[in-house]
Amino acid sequence: MADPKKPRAAFAPWDRRELPGAFDVEESARRVGNYKWIEMRLFEALGGWVATVPELDVKLRLGTHCYHHAWHAELWHKRLPELREMNPDRLTVPPNDELVTFVAALTEPEGPGETIEKLVGVYRVLIPALVAAYTYHLNNTSTITDAPTIRSLKFALQDLFDDWRDGEMMLQSLIETPDEVDRAAAHQARLQKLLLASGGVAGPGSIGDPWASEVPGADEGIAS
Amino acid sequence: MKKLFPVEELARDDRFRRVAIAERITDGRSPANAKNQEKLQGRLTPARPDAPDAARQLMHGIFTGEIQALEGAGRTCWDFPVGKVTDEAPDAVPFELKLDMARQCWDEARHCEISVKLSDWMGTVIGEFSEATFLYEAACNPDPVLRLTGVNRALEGLAIDVFNTMREFGDSAGDPVLEFCEDWMLADEVTHVKMGSDWLRRLTATDPERQARALEFQRIVDKLFSLGGFRGEDDDSPVRLARRFRELAGFDTDEMDELAEISRESRDEATRYQEQALAAADGGA
Repeated sequence: MADPKKPRAAFAPWDRRELPGAFDVEESARRVGNYKWIEMRLFEALGGWVATVPELDVKLRLGTHCYHHAWHAELWHKRLPELREMNPDRLTVPPNDELVTFVAALTEPEGPGETIEKLVGVYRVLIPALVAAYTYHLNNTSTITDAPTIRSLKFALQDLFDDWRDGEMMLQSLIETPDEVDRAAAHQARLQKLLLASGGVAGPGSIGDPWASEVPGADEGIAS
Repeated sequence: MKKLFPVEELARDDRFRRVAIAERITDGRSPANAKNQEKLQGRLTPARPDAPDAARQLMHGIFTGEIQALEGAGRTCWDFPVGKVTDEAPDAVPFELKLDMARQCWDEARHCEISVKLSDWMGTVIGEFSEATFLYEAACNPDPVLRLTGVNRALEGLAIDVFNTMREFGDSAGDPVLEFCEDWMLADEVTHVKMGSDWLRRLTATDPERQARALEFQRIVDKLFSLGGFRGEDDDSPVRLARRFRELAGFDTDEMDELAEISRESRDEATRYQEQALAAADGGA
């Protein structure tokens, strides 16, 4: 057995976590507040739609996914006070009015013949946007100081991947004609444009800015 | 999507056959019809000659009830704003209440899945029996406190009684699959009723008038669902009041005594109507 008195490093050789991260406490709290807001809108809509869809399997999946997003909202709700936001309601807001407009359009379909539109909005537009924003946050925040957010992001992402697949499979089984392909595409394009105007679920910068220079001085040609 | 989704618009595929409360009550074959001359068949046991059909019908009723419970909980997620009650938002609810309703959505979705599998196991199919919609109708109340009290305390409370009865039926019929599934669903129902009990207490702590209205609504729903003695404490009640599980869910002894009394009254009322109907038929013969 190894000598229990022998000193070991705080970070094992396989532990490559680093201190720096792209977000300070305030920015992380702002994003988490935006996440809570959109997850709330999503679970409310999924719950409301259950009664409006005649397809039994879709009805049951929406009920199941409704809880997933409520749980994500709860995770973010509990994270906010840990990010020095003692009044979680203050930051439980959309990033801008454009995202409010997007959510209004997303939740517009109601009729029993509009299941395709309901599913397209959630599974082809909003959930992919959430996956993107959460992944950007996960990959850019400090792996040491912001570990609790990372843990919640990973739980949420696991649900999102599973639900995304469920939703896409439901859609593929519902879309049976070229006209329905067009319907789905047209609705997706309409919503995607509204989401684009908002900049994403956390506003502009939801997934970072790939056009920004990553290396200081790169623009001056001295980085190489 | 609008707030408050009417029962007439509940979305179903072609297999479902919906029966409104009025139709059900006026249908002479229904136990809900006070003039029904056929006596209740008594407690659901394997010894009953009609036990297989009665169990299948009850399972179908459980399935359609679970769909409506799912829809009702989902609508509660959507219909009400989150926040404190104000003049502008008299129907506002706490965030945590919505989280409970979302959790209930998941539970009810699983119950639908379980019920479909059990229906298949027991030899029936979706649409073999009709769907009564009064569970969802109770879930249309525009006051969230009344809605939760009517659905989570009265109807989910009935679900406790029904699942306990089915669990015992599974045990006595030597059906471990039925007993196993009903026991799991019973655990969820206790949770749902407890949610209703807790929210009723929390939301009306400083509003006794609203609490009284909610409890009155619960009594109305309870009476409606006693169905002429369908659920009660008599030996021959088809569904027995499950006192032990109701206690776990926040019912006190007085409330359960009152529920037993409501069932008894409902049964006596049905018997009176039956006797009157029989007397009228004899007189006319």
